[in-house]
Amino acid sequence: MKCLLLLLPAVLLAAGNEDSFLLRGATVHTLAGAPIDNGSVLVRNGRIIGVGKDIAAPKDVKVIDARGLQVYPGLIDAATEIGLVEVNSVRETLDTTELGRFNPQLVALTAVNPSSEHIPVTRANGITTVATLPAGPLISGQVSLIHLDGWTTDEMGVSRTAGLHLRIPFIQTSARPAPFDDSTTAPVAGAPPNAFNAAKQVYDRQMAELNEFFDSARRYRQAKDARTPEFRADLKMEAMIPVLDGQEPVLITAIREREIRDALAFADKQKIKIILCEAPEAYKVTREIKDRAIPVILGPTLALPLNEDDPYDRAYTTPADLQKAGIRFAIGTFSGTASLSSRNLPYQAAQAVAFGLPHDDALRAITKNAAEIWGVADRVGTIEEGKWADLLVTDGDPLETKTQVRQLFIKGKTVDLDNKQKQLYDKYLHRP
Amino acid sequence: MNRLAWLALVSLAPAFADAPVFIQNATILTVTNGVLRGSILLENGKIAAIGERIAPPAGATVIDGSGKYVMPGIIDCHSHIMAEAINEGSVAVSSMVAMTDVLNPGDIAIYRALAGGVTSANILHGSANPIGGQTLVMKLRCGANAEKMKFEGAMPGIKFALGENPKRRGSAPGGGPPNPALLRYPATRMGVEDVIREAFTQAKAYQASWTEYNAKAARGEIAIPPARDLKLEPLVEVLDGKRLVHAHCYRQDEILMLLHAADEFGFKIRTLQHALEAYKVAKEIAQHGAGVSTFADWWAYKMEAEDAIPFNAAVLVRKGVLVSLNSDDPELIRHLDKEAAKAVKYGGLSETEALSLITINPAKQLLIDRRVGSLEVGKDADVLLYDGHPLSNFSKVLKVWIDGRQYFDRDQDVAGRPRKEAEKKALIDKAAADQRGPARQTP
Amino acid sequence: MELKVSPLVVLGVAAMGLQAQSPGTYLLRDARIVRVSGPAIERGSVVVRNGLIEAAGPAVTPPPDAWVIDCSGLTVYPGLIDALSYWGVPAANGRGGAAQQTPAAGPEDRPLTLSWTKAADQILPADRAIQTARDGGFTSAVAFPRGNIFSGQGSVINLAGDRAGQMVIADSVAQLIALRTGGGRGFPGSLLGSIAYVRQIYLDADHYKLAKAVYEKHPEGLRRPAYDRALEGVLESSLVLLPAENAIEIERMLALARELKLKAVLYGAHEAWREVGLLKQANTPVLVSLKYPERARDADPALDEPLRILELREKAPSAAGALAKANVKFAFYSDGVGNPRDLMRSVKKAIDAGLNPDDALRALTLTPAEIYGVGNRIGSIDPGKIANLVVADGDLFSEKTKIKFVFVDGNKFEPLPEELPARPGRGPAR
Repeated sequence: MKCLLLLLPAVLLAAGNEDSFLLRGATVHTLAGAPIDNGSVLVRNGRIIGVGKDIAAPKDVKVIDARGLQVYPGLIDAATEIGLVEVNSVRETLDTTELGRFNPQLVALTAVNPSSEHIPVTRANGITTVATLPAGPLISGQVSLIHLDGWTTDEMGVSRTAGLHLRIPFIQTSARPAPFDDSTTAPVAGAPPNAFNAAKQVYDRQMAELNEFFDSARRYRQAKDARTPEFRADLKMEAMIPVLDGQEPVLITAIREREIRDALAFADKQKIKIILCEAPEAYKVTREIKDRAIPVILGPTLALPLNEDDPYDRAYTTPADLQKAGIRFAIGTFSGTASLSSRNLPYQAAQAVAFGLPHDDALRAITKNAAEIWGVADRVGTIEEGKWADLLVTDGDPLETKTQVRQLFIKGKTVDLDNKQKQLYDKYLHRP
Repeated sequence: MNRLAWLALVSLAPAFADAPVFIQNATILTVTNGVLRGSILLENGKIAAIGERIAPPAGATVIDGSGKYVMPGIIDCHSHIMAEAINEGSVAVSSMVAMTDVLNPGDIAIYRALAGGVTSANILHGSANPIGGQTLVMKLRCGANAEKMKFEGAMPGIKFALGENPKRRGSAPGGGPPNPALLRYPATRMGVEDVIREAFTQAKAYQASWTEYNAKAARGEIAIPPARDLKLEPLVEVLDGKRLVHAHCYRQDEILMLLHAADEFGFKIRTLQHALEAYKVAKEIAQHGAGVSTFADWWAYKMEAEDAIPFNAAVLVRKGVLVSLNSDDPELIRHLDKEAAKAVKYGGLSETEALSLITINPAKQLLIDRRVGSLEVGKDADVLLYDGHPLSNFSKVLKVWIDGRQYFDRDQDVAGRPRKEAEKKALIDKAAADQRGPARQTP
Repeated sequence: MELKVSPLVVLGVAAMGLQAQSPGTYLLRDARIVRVSGPAIERGSVVVRNGLIEAAGPAVTPPPDAWVIDCSGLTVYPGLIDALSYWGVPAANGRGGAAQQTPAAGPEDRPLTLSWTKAADQILPADRAIQTARDGGFTSAVAFPRGNIFSGQGSVINLAGDRAGQMVIADSVAQLIALRTGGGRGFPGSLLGSIAYVRQIYLDADHYKLAKAVYEKHPEGLRRPAYDRALEGVLESSLVLLPAENAIEIERMLALARELKLKAVLYGAHEAWREVGLLKQANTPVLVSLKYPERARDADPALDEPLRILELREKAPSAAGALAKANVKFAFYSDGVGNPRDLMRSVKKAIDAGLNPDDALRALTLTPAEIYGVGNRIGSIDPGKIANLVVADGDLFSEKTKIKFVFVDGNKFEPLPEELPARPGRGPAR
């Protein structure tokens, strides 16, 4: 019996040791100050408890030698479909878009498939947290932030209801060009746009309905607070309350300048916290965005300009424009199809560097800023005491393609960097 | 005549068009002959000299290349830019149509691709048909008309497509009840093979009918020649080795199917396009002698892309297959250099091997490597100047020359923007004033 | 004054009905005569007899039997000709070629092909558009069947008559080609297919002609060539109209015409000003559309239109002037615009953009006649030509000018008063 008792602390320690370690000898890019050469990160039970130049190794934690390597916060993709979409062309694997226009009560997290192959593929390049978005014509549901590791969605969740996704109504005069697929006929250049007035009427009606929905949510909250006897719980309305209370931001997808301005006006009118989403024309509205301290989650930098006459580098320079205007922004890969897939997030940031964005701002756009915008900065986004040990260990700058990921930690646990693609590589490389 | 619309965003400064260009003290990535710090001379449309210690001739435009990099123009082996139509999908075999008929030299995608370093592109028919339309190679001489953009002497091609895309029209969308009138055979991969075999069987018969007629005519017999069949003639050209086959495909089973069919009919597949599972049958591909033109890391957008791996290019290179990376996309075409870097990351290709994937390799695949694809004296002066190493994500293209003529200059592009905006505003204001102008209806 | 009526005239009256006046003999006296075929006659007279111009000059002996019309202060022009018209042609009904239960599976099914049909066989003399056009000074039109890729054969018609046959000047002058698609049903499904189809048809036509010739001389032992009315129709047309609005299309169609050895005329021509060199070299006449590209009425004000489109619109009216300067043969056509006033405004725009007014008039008269091979019958005021005339109180291209009367085949028509635009305060109360 005594032996068991003696063993117990060791067992406990061993169990607890999975997510406790001292990482040392590397250049640590905390993103909360200058990089630390020959630095150390001490992790216990999955949390960072020490960051610095010389940290003594406690006896009960393993030491990981990272000499010559670089350590960064795990990368954060501020907008994805990971876990909600497996194969774009197979309808059964798509879970982003529900029917209906008013669905604030839907939550992405529980629809995430923890076995999605996208998870091991994405984290293999250093992304540790992603926001995964419902999508739809108006209010499509709540965005969830997930770690790219965990046995279940419960374990994966970082923030279950990080924000409400709203696609701001817009005057639709021409069909949005479909994503490129060479099995169809090329889009007809110069197809006549729909009549503006007719489209505007539809838009006016949609805006009115949207505002009315918010108003009805306010009436619901009032009735609830007043405990009126006739009060009945309504899931949609319940989901709106944190938004009305300013505790949950509304992520507003707005593409054209007019839509962005509408989003700002809507936020002013409804007195809600918002995050602008995609907003490729945000560079036209920087002053108004900055004045309201509204953050922006930009779409991929590697994108075509919206207008034929736009400068060829329009999308490449927008991050720098926002940075110069003092606007906090992050980058998201969104639909993640083809080369836009989430694993290439750092290269989206890098392209902006080639066209004027300071390197560290690019890094922040895919770490610290993303965490702050999504309200999880107390847990992730930088290497600081108290935060989760989401750590990326590389042999170089993660923004450069040839950099290899050596190790990855999520909540202090070593992440398996293997995935089906590496297995297929190995298998067929050795085919006799 | 206002040339602005034709010249896109850059004034070509015709005065400099044919003056020799001397880029000095740059890091020169020749691709085929290593890397050197030196200078390169472009003259009379060709690369006239490369060396560590050469001097500019009199009258040359001298460009300071210190800290900069020079590499050959990028060649995209799979593109649909500059085309007003991409697919003739109404029939399973559309070999009678030709991309050359629908070229759009005014496509803004040309300039944008140029700004990303692409100087030549293989303009392909889409993937809606097992046997698609005729294809051709173009140089991105932005501002020229369609005829002048054609890559002179490049062998013409034809597009095949296997897998999900060409069989899509064989079933009703959304899996609903099929309306036979609207369905187009094939609906399965078996049918795709059948269409190809049937077509080549017909082509052989057509070929024979002409042989027979020619023999009759030679003997002086009265005969009516066969009617010319524009659908079968390109296939006869394939059989005769005069037209290159570029076959869109994904899965290993369909790749093998096509290689076997080609072997049986006696022709070669020049390139397997996309071929995301090619790594599984690298041996067979190398044996047949087909090249592969693939994506760096696309996957998951279709079932047939499920086993795609970013190591595809590296595996194929190691197994002796001629590999290129392509874009098949007007956005991706702008950063093929960044795609090539992925072959270093995934599979450990060297930098030169990676650069080859977008220069000399596609040139060889298109049989234009005597003229382009590397920096060698005597080749076309299709040259790029970068502000950093092309494989670095922090670098960008500064200047592009095709045939020794400058077609893109970032500084001029940036400097020209205010003037272009002003011109556009003037036109908009004028049009608005005209609209408000004198009353249009008079009693 | 006495009007001698010849028996021919009596017959004419019976045939023409009540609407028109009988083709009598007229003397248009003391008019300014713009002949087009030569310098204008500042003051002269025109004699119309039996539907033809008998005389036109400064000193014309007035025939005793002529009805005199005092035209002092008026100008006589040749009647205007619409060089590619649908006036009088019914709307397209159904697709061409074989019964289309199954979509076309390729060129062999001859999709969208009605090459053997003629506009002359379809004309509806009572079409309102004919009268509207005539009231606006148009006396002839080159009418084409509508729709399809090979739409059919155009006919030169006069814009007046009770029966179609009476209106026809030339029943088959050209084949109209438009690069349409099957609209999602069958081949061709794209521009790629349409062009390939045209190419194949002409190859088939060459083969058909050859096969028929060989077979005719020596049918023994040979399989007979199948009758193909689509190819018969194509072979009947020595002139072909090809669509080409912008510069790229112009180059493309010139290359196609050269490749297939077609005698072609291009229509559209908004960007012809870019291609005058090529057009001159190819000796290809051009039909210039009078419907200039315009921003949609109900366009989104925030829509960013490319500079390319803005320039196309800005420059389109200058196409005609550029063609004239380069000596390229060109004519104007209505391109679906029904109101002659709007057509004249478009011509005025072209004049303002640099087209010489004389060239403008020629492009509406003698040149279209010449392009279609009827230049010896209409298009100018010359003795012996058909009496198609328009008499106006000023310059035809001026807004203020009124058309007094029009002659078609020597019959006199007075235009109905133009409908006034709706004015506020009028009409039923709401």
